[in-house]
Amino acid sequence: MNRIRYLLRRLVLSIPVVWLGTTATFLIIRLGPLNPAAAIVGPTNDPQARQQLQRIEAQLGLTDPIHEQYLDYMVDLLTLDLGQSWVVHQGQETTALLAAYGPRTLWLGLWAVLIPLFVGIPLGMYAGLHPNTNRDYAASMAGIVWRAMPNFWLAVILLALLSRTEAVFFGSGWEGFLVDTELVGPPDLSRLGTVDGLLAAIKKILPPALVLGSASMGNELRLSRTAVLETIHDDYVDTMRAIGVSESRLVWKHVLRNAMIPLIPIITSEAYLLVGGSVLVEVVFGINGIGTLFYDALTQGDLPLAGSLMYVFIILTVSINIAQDVLYTVIDPRVGYEGDR
Amino acid sequence: MTEDARPDDSGPTESDHGPTESDHGPTESDHGPTDRGRPSDDRNAAAARADGGLVDRGGVAREAGFADRVRTNPGPALRWLAVAAALTVVELGALVGLLAAALPVDAGLAALADALPTLLSRETIPNQGPRIPGEGWQGTFLGLSPAAAWGLRVALVYAYAATWFWWLYRGYRTYRREYRIADWTPRDDVLRRFSRHRWGQFGLVVVLAFVVMAMFAPALGPTTMERNSFEPYSYTITTYDEDAGEVREVTVGDANLASTSQGTEDRNVGFGEYDDFGRFHPFGTLPSGQDLFTFVAAGARVSLFISLLAIGLSAVISATLAVASAYYGGVVDLVVVLLSDATQALPQLLVVMLLSVVLSETWLASLYSGGVLLALIFALTGWPSLWRAVRGPALQVAERGWVDAADSIGLASSVTMRRHMLPYILGYLLVYVSMSLGGIIIGIAGLSFLGLGVTSPTPEWGRIVDIGQPYLATVSWHIAFVPGVLVVVVVTGFNALGDGIRDAIDPESEGGEGEATTAASGAGG
Repeated sequence: MNRIRYLLRRLVLSIPVVWLGTTATFLIIRLGPLNPAAAIVGPTNDPQARQQLQRIEAQLGLTDPIHEQYLDYMVDLLTLDLGQSWVVHQGQETTALLAAYGPRTLWLGLWAVLIPLFVGIPLGMYAGLHPNTNRDYAASMAGIVWRAMPNFWLAVILLALLSRTEAVFFGSGWEGFLVDTELVGPPDLSRLGTVDGLLAAIKKILPPALVLGSASMGNELRLSRTAVLETIHDDYVDTMRAIGVSESRLVWKHVLRNAMIPLIPIITSEAYLLVGGSVLVEVVFGINGIGTLFYDALTQGDLPLAGSLMYVFIILTVSINIAQDVLYTVIDPRVGYEGDR
Repeated sequence: MTEDARPDDSGPTESDHGPTESDHGPTESDHGPTDRGRPSDDRNAAAARADGGLVDRGGVAREAGFADRVRTNPGPALRWLAVAAALTVVELGALVGLLAAALPVDAGLAALADALPTLLSRETIPNQGPRIPGEGWQGTFLGLSPAAAWGLRVALVYAYAATWFWWLYRGYRTYRREYRIADWTPRDDVLRRFSRHRWGQFGLVVVLAFVVMAMFAPALGPTTMERNSFEPYSYTITTYDEDAGEVREVTVGDANLASTSQGTEDRNVGFGEYDDFGRFHPFGTLPSGQDLFTFVAAGARVSLFISLLAIGLSAVISATLAVASAYYGGVVDLVVVLLSDATQALPQLLVVMLLSVVLSETWLASLYSGGVLLALIFALTGWPSLWRAVRGPALQVAERGWVDAADSIGLASSVTMRRHMLPYILGYLLVYVSMSLGGIIIGIAGLSFLGLGVTSPTPEWGRIVDIGQPYLATVSWHIAFVPGVLVVVVVTGFNALGDGIRDAIDPESEGGEGEATTAASGAGG
């Protein structure tokens, strides 16, 4: 089973990567110029604060020699003991926070992957099937601009536009359209089972997901256009046309299908971009997901929490990478397992 | 001996095949003095000559160096240098001023700068003054309206910059016509392909316009950051008071307070409007009443400086590592792969945030309002993507015969790498540098938007968006709108330029895949 061996090899190779990444995080937080305990206490200097500082330092183990700290830190991460929050949600376990905040980020990420799929790829394929027409230029131009647009700016512009749509959406404006939702704030995921709740949750997440997925949308548009253009010039397409396969059948059954192959790994690599991009989008749209949690932890001096979250992000990125490589070998068996990685 | 001695179309086919073959490498030899004593290149050059002769057009033996060739035929070079001198003289004041600002200690230079003439300055073409009914504008250039005077200055600045660019291009043409020995080099083909690449040229124009905006920021703005934002109460303007019917002085700070843009009809100065004091605001004003264009132009300078510093550092790191890991292979290669994988496993934007918070209290963060720190962080986290991009070409060139040959004649490893490997990956590096620059610009803006990047009062595009966000749904929407549009245009420009360079150096890759990972995208911010 070549594929399983390949997977195992990738897993083994990812161990030093995770180790180096977490070590870097450890060095930044523990050896950086900012003392985590001091950051937690804040810029006060009364006797009480000094006592508190000493207590936190002892609790975090900052008084131990550095190699012991490092060992403790790594063992904690390995055993998934992610510690607790010190400032943002004082005393709460990080794992509990992840369970509370995670679903909203996942919901956002899911739609941020889906929207580009259903907008970018069809548009790109449409452009590829009509190359060098005005429609092609319009779609390609849109893709180029989407790619170059900063997420945070698109977010604030979209918010401003949607807040002024009283006259559109059948006169109800965006907020009152179909179901009542507020523009800013977290989606309510507790009522996903009901039609109303699902609709509200989806509607709520659409604007931020559109923003988060905008760059991927541009990428996918451009790539699917290229893929269709390349496929359509392949010899087998000419052959099929010659033996009388109808044009629509040719396009739907053969061209689009083969054009999809190089796109699938791209889609997973987009998921990787979402991890970092979610911070800005969540902050602007007021969604209290993991991105906001990380931002709050940073700005409020909760470095232990930020470090643990970073570990989660590292694991996530590495797993997405592995999944992508494995998926590639499944989709396109021509890809060798003996890659240079 | 014209340039057409060689078939003009697509060049020799073999040079188009291997991307590293000769498309952009051996052209090092164009650069004159350095190529003496490089027999292999001379042979290339001879091969490229139509007649294979050994005597140059000036009658100088072709073994003579570049300096000798110029000495024999100094006319074109002197004319070319004279144009440069003329272009420098008109801006001498600004140059000395820049020098004075860069040097830590001095007193004389700044005074000297004021005494020297500067053609493109607000002193030569003033755009502010009172408007007296019946007499028109006072104190502006030729009595033009402030808008027209400002527009004239902007046009002149860009014309001046375009002249410099034209001068550079003429210099290359002159060199090619008068001094270069070879009639054809692969770089000619690169240029020819770029000259047909409209999309790439669009990118070049946008990038140059952005660079000019950053370089000439003080002359381009209707006013200066110093007068407008940093010390508004130390400067005054003259304005015509309609109630009193006379010209009076008012401090810039007071005038700003009365020309704010805060979202209501009576408190808004939009695109191309005058405020109550006869000051022209091309992009309107900020909520604080300061001129937005001045702020944006100064912000362009900050963005360009940080992103260039960051990309320069990562280019050096990644080129060094790519060449070294390709040359040594084995363990070195493995270590570099691991380092890059580990760096990439850390989500870049999050690490940048973490580092900028952790290092915010150190002396590094005080350099250039945190700009230097930001550039360092971007360089340290961004090199793997560049390294990945040039790794392939570096591995290819490492397998070439001439690298073995260089080793076998006992050349030091560092010399082999620098002289015989590095030139071949520089073109690729340039492509990815251009494409990653946009990503860094977006990243810096995103961080500043969150309040983590460049600190106040240094102007930055992302911070302007943050300032203007509350007013986006009102009449003062221009504040957050302008910097965002500029980011989109500039990033598109850098991406287009990258596309153009790539197609020019490597025509086979046209519309290639992998763009998704190369071109900058907004996902980073």
